[in-house]
Formats: sequence, C-alpha cells, structure tokens
Amino acid sequence: MSNQTTTSPWKTLTALPENVWRSVFRNPLPISDLGRASTSFTNFFLHIHPVKVHRHSLRATYTWGLGLIAFFLFLILSVSGVLLMFYYVPSTAQAYDRMLDLRGTVAFGIFLRNMHRWAAHGMVAVVFLHLARVFLTGAYKPPREFNWLLGVGLFLLTLFASFTGYLLPWDQLAFWAITVGTSIAGYAPVFGKQIRFILLGDSSVGQEALLRFYVLHVAVLPILMSVLVAVHFWRIRKDGGLSRPPEEDEFTPDGVPVSASQPALALAAPGQVAHTAQPEGGEPLGERRRYGIQGLVKGPITKAGNIPDRSLFSWPNLFIAELVIFLVTVAGVLLVSVFFNAPLEEPVNVMHPPNPAKAPWYFLGLQEMVSYSAFWGGVGIPTVEVLLLLLLPYIDRKPGGVGRWFSRERLLANSLFLTFAILNVGLIIIGTFFRGPNWEFVSPW
Amino acid sequence: MVTKKPDTEEQAGPLTRRKVLAWLSGFGLCGSAVVTVFSNFTFIKPRVTYGQPNRFSVGRPEDYPPGARIALEGRRICMVREGDKLAAISTTCTHLGCIVSSSETGFSCPCHGSHYDQDGNVTAGPAPKHLAWYQLNLAPNGELEVDKDSEIEVGTYFKV
Repeated sequence: MSNQTTTSPWKTLTALPENVWRSVFRNPLPISDLGRASTSFTNFFLHIHPVKVHRHSLRATYTWGLGLIAFFLFLILSVSGVLLMFYYVPSTAQAYDRMLDLRGTVAFGIFLRNMHRWAAHGMVAVVFLHLARVFLTGAYKPPREFNWLLGVGLFLLTLFASFTGYLLPWDQLAFWAITVGTSIAGYAPVFGKQIRFILLGDSSVGQEALLRFYVLHVAVLPILMSVLVAVHFWRIRKDGGLSRPPEEDEFTPDGVPVSASQPALALAAPGQVAHTAQPEGGEPLGERRRYGIQGLVKGPITKAGNIPDRSLFSWPNLFIAELVIFLVTVAGVLLVSVFFNAPLEEPVNVMHPPNPAKAPWYFLGLQEMVSYSAFWGGVGIPTVEVLLLLLLPYIDRKPGGVGRWFSRERLLANSLFLTFAILNVGLIIIGTFFRGPNWEFVSPW
Repeated sequence: MVTKKPDTEEQAGPLTRRKVLAWLSGFGLCGSAVVTVFSNFTFIKPRVTYGQPNRFSVGRPEDYPPGARIALEGRRICMVREGDKLAAISTTCTHLGCIVSSSETGFSCPCHGSHYDQDGNVTAGPAPKHLAWYQLNLAPNGELEVDKDSEIEVGTYFKV
C-alpha cells in the first residue's frame, strides 16, 4: 500500500516533536550493557571516554579528581572570561573605569569578575596539586612520559595566563606586579632585554603592554591551552587509562581482587550489580568480550584475554563521578564569589609604586628569591626547576612504585619533590605574610 | 600484493631521484617554518613605540641651582647639579624597574629594599648595578637635552 510510505501531513506534524527528539538523542537511557557502551561511543561529548574504566581510576583517594577540577575551572574561566570581554576595553584610559563599571552598573558584573579571579587562583593551585599527585604516585613513568611533558607545559601556560590576566584591570597592583614580573624576564641571558621589549612592546609598561597582554590572555594562551588539554586527554586513553599499580592487573589465587578492601566508587544501576560483581575475582576477559580491532594494535592499550577484568562501565560510574566533581567545582567557585570580592586597588599611578609592591601570590616565592639575587632568583633557579620537571621521566627510569601514593620504592624521588615543593610554598608564605615596606622582614602578628 | 621494503634497505640504497626530492622538500618545509617563526617575531617586535621619547629637553641649566637634586618623576630621572657640573641620574631601580625615591643619603627603592648613595652606587639590597647616568647635551636653543638611550660612566658630569 502506498499509504504506509506517504504519511499524512497531520501525522507528520504530530510525530514531529518525537522525530526531532529521537534524531538528537539517538540512544534511550541505557538499560543493558550494549546501551551503556553505546552512550560512550555514539555521543560526541562522551566519546572521549572509554566504554569501560578500571576500578582503580575511579578511586577518589587516588586522583582526588584534581585533573578534572583543573579542567572544569578552565571551562568556568573560559565562559566567565568571554562574558567579561563584552565590557572590557584594553586601553590604559578606560580599563580601570570598566572595572568600576563591572562593580557598579553591569548586572552580575562584580559576580563574574569574582568568579573569573577566584577560579584563576584556584586553577593555579589545583594544577600544581595535580602535578604533585602525578609525581607522588609515579604516574609519569613509561608509557606516560610524554603526557607528563604536556602537563608541565600546561602548568607553565596556566601561570602565564594568570600572569597576563593580572595586568588587565590596570590598577596599582596590576601595574607594579607586571613591572616586577617583566623585569625578571629582562634578566634572562642573551635575549632577556629583547624578550622584555617584545613582551611589553615598549621600553616600559604602558598601553602597548596592556594590549599585548590582553591578546595573549584572551586569544593566544587559551587556544594553546585548549590544544594541549585535548592532546593531554587523548594521551590518557592511548596510554591505557590512568596509571595503576601492576598488582591491579594480576590474578589473585583466592579470587579476591587486590582492591577489594577498598571498594571503588561503584554506582552501578540495580540491573548491573550481578554483572559488575562477576569479574571481581579476576576472571579473564572472555573470548566473547575481546575488543575487536584493538587486538591487532601494538602498545599499552586494552589488553584482552590475559588480564583480569576489573573494569566498570563508564555509564554511569565514571559519568556520575565527573558530574559530582563538576558540581562541586562550580559550587565552590560560586560560593567563594558570593562571599569574597576580587581585589581592586587604586588606579595606576606610575609615579608612586605601592610599598611593598608585591607580585601575584603564586609568584611571591619567586619575588622572595629575586630579593636575594635577581638573576638566580628570577631566572636561574626557576629555569633549573622547570628543566628538572621536564626531564624528570627521562632521568628517573626506575620502573617501580607506579600507581600508589608515597610508595617505598620512590622514597628518594618523592622526598626530593616534597622538599622542593615545601621550600617553594615556604618562600611564598614568607613573601606573602612576612614582607613589609622596602621588602623588610615584618611579623604578621 | 605490494610488499613494503624494509626501512633499512631504503636508507642504505643509492641516491635516487625520489630521495633527493624528499630531502629537498623536507628542507624547504623546515626552512619555511623557520622563516615563518622568524618573521612573526620580527612582526611583533615594534619598530616604533608610542610611549615617551627617550630624548627630551629638561629646561635651561639655570633652572637647576648649584646643589640642587630635582627629581623629574614623569621622566624617571633626577637632575643633580654640583657647582657648574650637571648630571641626569635614572630613578628607575636597576633591580626590577621600580621608581626609587631620593632620601638624604641617596636613593632607596620601595620594592625590594635596594639603597643607593648620592651618585647612584648600590649600598644595600639586591640591585645588581648602579643607577644609570644619562648623556646630557646643550641644545642650540640653550636647553639641556637628556638622551636615555646613551648611558655614561658614573661621575661623568656635564659642565655648563
């Protein structure tokens, strides 16, 4: 019958909402393993996730969700930053007035500025903590060396993005922090003066510097960071998921998984319990469940057949964990932004630096070192530290101690790292609280 | 079925046209990448700046009576006159570019606590270098002209 193929206009109309809905959301909420798998690889926004994820990766006390928090802060910064761009003008004559307008007249202006500022501070801190987590769990070891490099690059870009953002309000703090910061760049050997000149676009901090820092802050650095973040995430998948200790992939004789004492965040739907419980004893991945073409690929990706299956479906286990971290991050930023206003000092006065003139807090350790020696504090020691960080996975070639916090095999490396970290944090605390006018030692009490 | 030659054999073989072309195009691509990076840096390094000029007039010598130490804040210099000798000393701290304030003993920097004597030599603090002394000239119209692009030795006065 031709009636069945040519539907009436009325039918087309009544079916329209459902047809539109179905074309956008192709999969119903999953009730079977096939459905759970499909959500991960048919949805553009979810397909960066694996279909299944190892229990160890879901353990909150292993990662503390730090990488994801950093990423969500980056998202918050991008959104609030774009919104702020609608009102901001990178001109020495107007920038400060626009800050006042954000405070006074723009709806939610002060709130967005608070969010942007606090999320930026938070991102610097969280990215550092994430770096510390990866170090202390030995997660940079092969095959994850390159991802460590990307991570160090992202850490430096985060600092630079935060630094360039600092100048934009064009208040006293901004102006003098940038004056100090770019002078430090001027101490770099050979090209120091050139770097400073290119960065500022002039011989001193002024309109050109403001414009340059603005372009770096809103275009160059976010684009670079987005690219690096994408590769960073992609490499997690290609390196076989998050790092985990080798025992996690061993069969246990009594059928109890290594991780049984510490159950992972298991949020399986009721119908799934039987399934997720089944592989715990370390039953090999069956022939049926081998991942098609991946069996032909070399490298540290999913190994089918020879390891116990201690993985869980990403839907809902991983996705709910991510959602929780997202909500906590957003809630945290909102809460801080409600109660604390981002600082704004007097408008720039080129004649009268505040005394003491302090850099942003994360550079105060640097500034403290700079007060002893401009070259060694500002360029020499930081360069050595960055080089050590970058070369770390190629210096430390001992394979042991991956996937556990403070493992005994990594006592030396971890102690060295913690010494450096505590030293830097100590310097930051001294620079923040114990330095007064003329950078003389004062007691905060 | 096409069998792929092992890499070692390809490398060891004689210089073929294909290999020469591969080398040439590889060289060309790398070369243009280098040129691109270089020209971008040339582009962002400004040829003209829009800020203050580095050569400017500071008035007539009579404006500075003997013994005067007058800071011209906007120009970031301090004009010093001792008898018939004049000097223009920078008030930009050599440490990190803050503006030093003049005190009875010389200059002191509020940022990191550097101290300088009357001639701008470092007496305390992290400053690595003395304050700059700039070239002074008498322009044909009888006005003093400071050139911040040419630094001179400490203690080189301009006689009027």
